[in-house]
Amino acid sequence: MKELAILTKAMIQERKDIALAIIGGFIAGLAGVILFSASGYMISQTVFAPPLYTLIVLTSLVKILGLLRAASRYAERLYSHRATFSLLSRLRTSFFSRLVPLAPGILGKKRSGELLARIVGDVESLQHYFLRVAYPPVIVVMVFLATVVFTSAFSFWMAGLFVLGMLTTAFVVPGLVLLGQRKIHGRVIRQRALLSAEVTEFLYGFRDLKVYGQLNKRDHQLQRASAALAAEQETAARNLLRGQSLHTFVSYLISWGVLALGSYLIMDGSLAGVYLAMLIMASLTVFEEAAPMATLPAYKQESEHAAKRLSETVHAAPILPSQPSGVLSVNQGISIELDGVSFQYEDEWRPALRDISLHFPAGSKTAIVGPSGSGKTTIIELLLKLRTPTGGQIRINGVLTEELDEASIWRASNVVLQQSHFFRGTIRDNLLLDEEEYPDEVLSAILDKAQLPNKSLDDRVFEKGENLSDGEKQRLALARAMLRKGRLWLLDEPTSSVDYITEKHIFRHLMKEAANDTLILICHRLTGLEEMDCILVIDQGRVVEAGTYTELMEQQGYFYEMKLLEQEMIGVNGEFR
Amino acid sequence: MKRKRGLISELRAAQRKSLVFLAGISLVLGAAISAQAALLAEAVEKIFVQRASFSSVAAVLGVLLAVMAVRTLLSYGNGRIGLYMAARAKTAMRAAVLRKLAHASVPVALRGQTGGKVSVTLDAVDESDSYFSQYLPRMIEAAVIPILILAIVFSQHVNSGLIMLITAPFIPIFMVLVGLTTKNKSEEKFTQLADFSGTFLGSLQGLVSLKLFGRTHHQQQEIERSSLGYRDATMGILRIAFTNTFMLESIVMLSIGIVALELALQLLVFKSLSFHTAFLILLLVPEYYSLLKNTGTAFHNGRTSMGAVRKVEEMLTGIREGEAPTDGDSGTGKTGGSIEIDLADKADKPERPNLDVLRMPLSIGMKDVRFQYAPDSFKLSASSLAFEPGQHIAIVGKSGSGKTTLLHLIAGLLKPTAGEVLVNGYPLAQYTEASWFDHVGYITQHPYIFSGTFADNIAIGSGRDVTRSEVVQAAEAAGLAALAAELEQGYDTFVGEGGRGLSGGEKQRLALARAFLKRPAVILFDEPTVGLDLQTERILQQSIAELASKATMITVAHRLYTIRHANRIIVMDNGAILDSGSHKELLARLPQYAEMVDAGRKGGFA
Repeated sequence: MKELAILTKAMIQERKDIALAIIGGFIAGLAGVILFSASGYMISQTVFAPPLYTLIVLTSLVKILGLLRAASRYAERLYSHRATFSLLSRLRTSFFSRLVPLAPGILGKKRSGELLARIVGDVESLQHYFLRVAYPPVIVVMVFLATVVFTSAFSFWMAGLFVLGMLTTAFVVPGLVLLGQRKIHGRVIRQRALLSAEVTEFLYGFRDLKVYGQLNKRDHQLQRASAALAAEQETAARNLLRGQSLHTFVSYLISWGVLALGSYLIMDGSLAGVYLAMLIMASLTVFEEAAPMATLPAYKQESEHAAKRLSETVHAAPILPSQPSGVLSVNQGISIELDGVSFQYEDEWRPALRDISLHFPAGSKTAIVGPSGSGKTTIIELLLKLRTPTGGQIRINGVLTEELDEASIWRASNVVLQQSHFFRGTIRDNLLLDEEEYPDEVLSAILDKAQLPNKSLDDRVFEKGENLSDGEKQRLALARAMLRKGRLWLLDEPTSSVDYITEKHIFRHLMKEAANDTLILICHRLTGLEEMDCILVIDQGRVVEAGTYTELMEQQGYFYEMKLLEQEMIGVNGEFR
Repeated sequence: MKRKRGLISELRAAQRKSLVFLAGISLVLGAAISAQAALLAEAVEKIFVQRASFSSVAAVLGVLLAVMAVRTLLSYGNGRIGLYMAARAKTAMRAAVLRKLAHASVPVALRGQTGGKVSVTLDAVDESDSYFSQYLPRMIEAAVIPILILAIVFSQHVNSGLIMLITAPFIPIFMVLVGLTTKNKSEEKFTQLADFSGTFLGSLQGLVSLKLFGRTHHQQQEIERSSLGYRDATMGILRIAFTNTFMLESIVMLSIGIVALELALQLLVFKSLSFHTAFLILLLVPEYYSLLKNTGTAFHNGRTSMGAVRKVEEMLTGIREGEAPTDGDSGTGKTGGSIEIDLADKADKPERPNLDVLRMPLSIGMKDVRFQYAPDSFKLSASSLAFEPGQHIAIVGKSGSGKTTLLHLIAGLLKPTAGEVLVNGYPLAQYTEASWFDHVGYITQHPYIFSGTFADNIAIGSGRDVTRSEVVQAAEAAGLAALAAELEQGYDTFVGEGGRGLSGGEKQRLALARAFLKRPAVILFDEPTVGLDLQTERILQQSIAELASKATMITVAHRLYTIRHANRIIVMDNGAILDSGSHKELLARLPQYAEMVDAGRKGGFA
């Protein structure tokens, strides 16, 4: 249950709507019970030929109760749904704020998309917790108790029978179903995950499977997995159905008990016969009110599962100490030193960086090159304190990064990541991320420098920049970086989707902007590197070569060969059109 | 040509027996419901009105308990049938989807989002569950039992029966009204909900950018704001739905009230009714209305479910239409979402000339081949080409010029819309897939690593049982020995999804190892375009040369080295073969070719 703590906290904040929903549900339930009891009583009364006015009073009462029931049910639905949606919004925000300090650490390297989608889905599925798990039992128990109080006015034993019925339907039956459900539920989830993984693999590997003649074999495997899943789902649903049937039977049994006990008590003389029909109607109705209890276990299971995964996500990451007080000055040139730095991603089996020692003097311009997956991006992530090295030390201006406040490093850096995030809004909104004021002329000039002359500041940008091409996104990200005043430039393949002529223009502006600053550029093309103070060649997490362009070309080592290879590439990608 | 039936009706027809069962059980269930009410009324009448002794009621009580048990069992039985139908329908649908996927042509399989297809196979099929497990049983119950109850009430007391008969239609009518007013709006909301969770997902994805630019707090407020905005919009829709439900419940309550009032009047004023009958009717009325009300909920579930089935249907149809017509005869009868549970295997080419064994060496040719993915889309035509055994062919051209399509056509992964690919002089379509693919090796730019052991992933190349030493040999030839030594369980280490991740270069080399194990007579090679490590680059060149020494090799080329060593180069442009010849010939006579070849150098020295 402790997993649901976040939820409980959020529920307390919505207490007003929740209270209203519960009151509405209670009145609706009670009105239903009274309505049918009154009908039963009325019919019984007719046997004694009462005066007509009692009848009129009773029938009016029945009608009013009917309307009251419908109206309070309306209120219950309205408030409970409003509470649910408010809860959901609170959960989203609270989760977002909890995830902020954990990024990108928890996102690992692979499967981060899957994890994020799961978080979103899990938050969604928590909405059932309140609507179907948390508050229905409260209403059921309240209505039951009221009915018990009511019946106790007629017979102590009768009331006892209702209490027994309440305990059985509200606790014993759902408990039994939950027990069965726990066992099966895991199996359904596993089988489903298995099938999902196999289908995904089947589709991704389709061409290879076809050429290697494995399609039929895989198809049969999938069919078997699919049939197994359907069977497991049926077993789980059967368990739930058994619970529902058990609930129905218990409610019949109690009504039957009311009848049997009633007839005994009437013959005994301790109960007036006129109440018998009323009590039977009451028992039939009150159990109908308890019907949601039968489906509760399924939802309970689901929300607990979601809550558990969410809290695991949040708690899996180590609790970060509050940021140290060290501040990186924005006005000073920045030098960086890496000393025996290693890093390994949690879900990888070999290190991404192995024992790297580097020195970036203040004002130096360095290019990092190497095959994809060699660890180039990891270096930038470490410098930005987005990840913590598994070994070694990083010093910025002589201060260990552990002693620096991450936010101050970010303020001092102009960063372009491989994947930049854009918001719904205008180009201007997306340029002014750090909320500083610039006149429009400055912004337009920046757009020109980033080779985006066709974009105006008021052009719309869709969610995640979906209406921009990859090249435009990169240029916009560069413009955004150029607006910042940091003295450290960290650029991760900033122009990989830009043609090489445009790239040349951009780099010319960039070099002018960063003339006195430290610049680290990861690049995928080996062009324009002649001006760099140093080129680092990285392969499999190690620095295999370092030197200026001329030095490396003269050495005829790794870089030289890469360069030769690049010249081998023929212009078939349409890049050079 | 028979008009295709919807997938739903087809699935339903397959379960006719279960549906008959459902109807039968529902009939008995109706009888049990009525009997329960009758016995209850009887018992109360005896105790309360006739003041009979306990022992005389005991028999009634006993039968009542039995009826209650039977009633529970019967509804349980109906539920079980529903679950059974759902399980069968889901398995059948998924089988059809999987079979479609397995028999789809390569472009269809590779086109579009894999995520979407997985979601249809799993989510949409699962969503269809409630149509069978809930909607059908409830609808059949609602069709049978109320009529039975109505008949009984009519036989007992015509007036109550009339009231019930007149008020009943209001319920479905109201349900339809509720549905109509909220349907479009709520569907719109659901898309919004999807968009909205998309926004949340987007914020999570952009978290790093947000952090770096110090905008997390701002984004958090944004999430809250849009979340609450969404809540208010949704509540607007829900309010309409709840108001309608309120009206509906009022109608039911009012109807019950009218019946009760009428009963009381009959009892008291006209004295034309016995207590027994009145109480019986009073017990039956709520059962009657709640059955009718149930149809509403079932209808709602059923609609969502049917939407899911339609999604499955669309996918089945989509794959079919996306497929190029193959042997002329399959284009006739069965289009659309018919699930062809037992027909699917017949589509797998029944008769074939006896060409199961391919003669070596292989010669490959093309005769007036035309290809189109869909009408009005990219067109490819290759009038006539012939490749001698052992020749090395390179295909070059800008991206989107049709290089890969041509390679797929030669590989038999695509069927030409017109014309033939000829192997040893016979159309490729006449060989069995297995006999042809036995001799083909295809090294793609992004080889797929299956979850399994390292050795399994290499062995998949051979299609036969191979010894460990053969696997090791192939791995060594592809330069994977060092990697195998680095893996903690060597060749038995799990790789792929959920296992050890391999780098791009290692995947390429693994694909080479597969080819080494297979030693195919035809090698199709999609040369990598992007940054591999130097080791892989070197191994790629050496190994490919070795593999191709005794084979026909067709390469989609991106390296100067490759085209220089090719016997023949095919230059593609905009879906057509511009020219073909040796490197020297083409340099001399085709300016576009010279420009293309030079581009890498230009980029390099710019």
